[in-house]
Amino acid sequence: MTATRELVTDRREEFAFHDDIVYLAETKRGLTRDTVEEISRFKNEPDWMLQFRLRAYEHFLKRPMPNWGGDLSKIDFGNIVYYRKPSEREEKSWDDVPDQIKATFERLGIPEAERKFLAGVGAQYDSEVVYHSVKEELTKLGVVFMGTDQALVEYPEIFRKHFATVVPPEDNKFAALNSAVWSGGSFVYVPKGVEVPLPLQAYFRINGENTGQFERTLIVVDEGASVHYIEGCTAPIYATESLHVAVVEVIALPGAKVRYTTIQNWSNDVYNLVTKRAHAHKNSTVEWIDANTGSRLTMKYPAIYLRGENATADIISVAVAGKGQHQDTGAKAVHLAPNTKSRIVSKSVSKDGGRATYRGQLKVSPGATNVVASVRCDALMLDDISRSDTYPYIDIQEDDTTMTHEATVGKISADQVFYLMSRGLTENEAQNLIVQGFLEVFTKELPMEYAIEFNRLVKLEMEGSLG
Amino acid sequence: MTLARPPRATTGRAARRAPADLSFTLDQATVEAFAAGEPDWLAADRRAALELFTSLPSEGNQLYTPYIDLRGADLEDVRLYEEPAAAPDGATAEKLPDGIAGLADLREDRVEALLIDDASHAAGVRLETLGGLLAADPEAAQRLLGDSSALPATDRFAQLTRAGWNQGVVIRVPAGVRLQHPIVVRWSAGAPGRGLLTRTILELGDGAAASIVEELGASDQAADTASGGGQGLFSGSLEVRLGRDAELRVASIQDFGPGQVVFQHRNAVIGEGADLHWALAQLGGRLVRSRVDNRLEGDRSTVEQVEIVFGADEQLFDLTSYTHHVGRDTTGNLLSKGVLLDAARSYMKGMITIEKSARGTDSFLGEFGMNLSKKARSVAIPSLEIDQPDCRRAAHSSSVGPIDESQLFYLESRGIPPDEARKFIVLGFLEPVVTRVPLDSERDRLRELLEAKWNAGLVGAAAA
Repeated sequence: MTATRELVTDRREEFAFHDDIVYLAETKRGLTRDTVEEISRFKNEPDWMLQFRLRAYEHFLKRPMPNWGGDLSKIDFGNIVYYRKPSEREEKSWDDVPDQIKATFERLGIPEAERKFLAGVGAQYDSEVVYHSVKEELTKLGVVFMGTDQALVEYPEIFRKHFATVVPPEDNKFAALNSAVWSGGSFVYVPKGVEVPLPLQAYFRINGENTGQFERTLIVVDEGASVHYIEGCTAPIYATESLHVAVVEVIALPGAKVRYTTIQNWSNDVYNLVTKRAHAHKNSTVEWIDANTGSRLTMKYPAIYLRGENATADIISVAVAGKGQHQDTGAKAVHLAPNTKSRIVSKSVSKDGGRATYRGQLKVSPGATNVVASVRCDALMLDDISRSDTYPYIDIQEDDTTMTHEATVGKISADQVFYLMSRGLTENEAQNLIVQGFLEVFTKELPMEYAIEFNRLVKLEMEGSLG
Repeated sequence: MTLARPPRATTGRAARRAPADLSFTLDQATVEAFAAGEPDWLAADRRAALELFTSLPSEGNQLYTPYIDLRGADLEDVRLYEEPAAAPDGATAEKLPDGIAGLADLREDRVEALLIDDASHAAGVRLETLGGLLAADPEAAQRLLGDSSALPATDRFAQLTRAGWNQGVVIRVPAGVRLQHPIVVRWSAGAPGRGLLTRTILELGDGAAASIVEELGASDQAADTASGGGQGLFSGSLEVRLGRDAELRVASIQDFGPGQVVFQHRNAVIGEGADLHWALAQLGGRLVRSRVDNRLEGDRSTVEQVEIVFGADEQLFDLTSYTHHVGRDTTGNLLSKGVLLDAARSYMKGMITIEKSARGTDSFLGEFGMNLSKKARSVAIPSLEIDQPDCRRAAHSSSVGPIDESQLFYLESRGIPPDEARKFIVLGFLEPVVTRVPLDSERDRLRELLEAKWNAGLVGAAAA
């Protein structure tokens, strides 16, 4: 056993890169009314957006910190730069992107990915979208895929119609914070009946110590249209706290189909506090495929409000909590209309003193007749010092709901490890294989490239535990 | 669903309360009045509890704060009984019914009977009121009552009982004594505007075995509607201590009147190799808030808890269970089932905690609900907190669904009319508790109560 451990090295350093960039515009550390006004001024926003930000800011001040979930006491709101603009304007083509930023993306494999099959790329470098390209054919189809700031300028009507209708600033303290200082993120609009043939993907990156990332993503999929959006994150490693507070809103209009995939791998000093919510209208399908391997603390519960008849919700959430990490994740399905269906599958792995928490809600409101819902949570604990919690809330207010819920927690099977080792695998390899198998329900939903990347992330996490 | 539902008493009610606000206040003077005639340690215990009751929130567990609703309890005018009897008033020469080893019959502030059979008494089994024990054996009383860990310091309602109890029963079974027949503890309450706060203490020595049947029902003074004449309060603890290899079965049938507010707290400390079985049936009351704490401290200790709820009208059952695995190779098996008619609600909150020391744990928690009305609401929060992965099993499961159509179809295909078939399915769903009641007569009574409640609901449905 010890021999195997020595052979394995922690390769995560390779991903801990940090470039020195000269920031052209940034706000002072800390958050005041002036900061909010300054951000709006930098962006030259319409007045309604400024008013929206200020309303959110007021609510943020009033709202107490949540006292459930993870430990948020170390967040120092006064020591964070809320807005930072790495280059002057949105770049039209890859060639115009400054070399230094390009170099960072190079390591993330963005141009590579694009050459292969990307439908579009929106890469977030700190707080502004610096690179964005949409294939011509998509443009022809009328699909809009651009930075959220840009969309506010170019598509003011559709933007204003849907913005903050799914997650109002008053929803929670962090949604209020995001609403006050948001910057960047993606805007997607898919017109009626259009099926986007390839996944749209955006890489998000944090750079700069104590830089908050407050991106705001809005996805509107019109009647009968379909789209798959992929979001993946890596971040440089720093010693002090970073904060990522995002809001993602998805609107699936009647008959639409939306899948939103996330691989979250923030560095282990990031607080990742994200509000993700979708409205599923009549006959639509919304799927959240959500993986969390990074960050110090993640509190994220992708939600689907089933508002129209026959809407379907599918949420797959996986989390790996290693040393010093707390993954407080889960899912929420709220049934508001008849004949709606939901399925929640959650898998978590905790190890090296990490803590994995499933926190979920399943609600069937009066009037939502004939609902079928299921929740399944499995947790794997790899050692004695880790912790696993399961907190499901099930609230049924109709008499013809069919709901099932199951949860199990266990350790890795010694028999399975023994068997694999007898076949010549090292203990680490055996454990890694078992964990990958345990998480397969998630992996198999990913496009192949992402599945490979995700398995690599899990492997890195597993090796880190032994290094 | 019932034929003549009385209108909700909204007039004369105090200003709208928040869901977690308790309308009952226990003041210093009341507690001091109790403390005046008591030994110093007990007076101090009451005062400490009063302080906790005053300062604690109604729901101490952050997980459950969204699901507490005490608005159904109108207890502003409720006063506690001040001088309940400590013994029967002498005239009663009631004989112990056949098939039971002991009977404690307490009605409002009186003690109707306190009987134990000769064989049990000779073996050292003791059945007393707390008042009786304090007078006869102050040392034993201090050992049993003075242990503040018997009721959790974080629970406001448990502290209410500890501060203001005005009646109590103690059953002690010495080491090695195995009772052949159950002991019945009967509480009758419900006088409008009166509060009965009780502590029941069960202590089994090493290797002892006993079964207890707890009957909780309406007294002759109880109001027969939810609003008429004001509510009554019954707040009771059941504190169980099991020695090594002891075995205890507790069956409880709660069928208070519709105007009763019920707070229950059951706390069990389970020793090495000991077995505890709970069978709990909840039928009555306007608002029932119950909490069970099972502490599996000894190695190889086990607990089985089966609980049913049958709710109708505007009843609210707020049930929490905490299963705490501390020793090695302990086993917990918890099952809660609820059937809801009308606008009844049930909140089933269950928490399994597996501590670092608890290797080899096997723990299961199941919460199953049947909503039979559009206005019914069932909430299930089955949680797990695990610090020790080396377990045989740690799982929970829950489901909520209507009556199974295929079962209905099967029964109907056998010539059973639809209404009968529905009744069979519902009563069968609740049967697991019935079969665990250790006394034939009580088992029959529970079946009758369940059937009567079903029939009442059916009549109401036909009229509606």
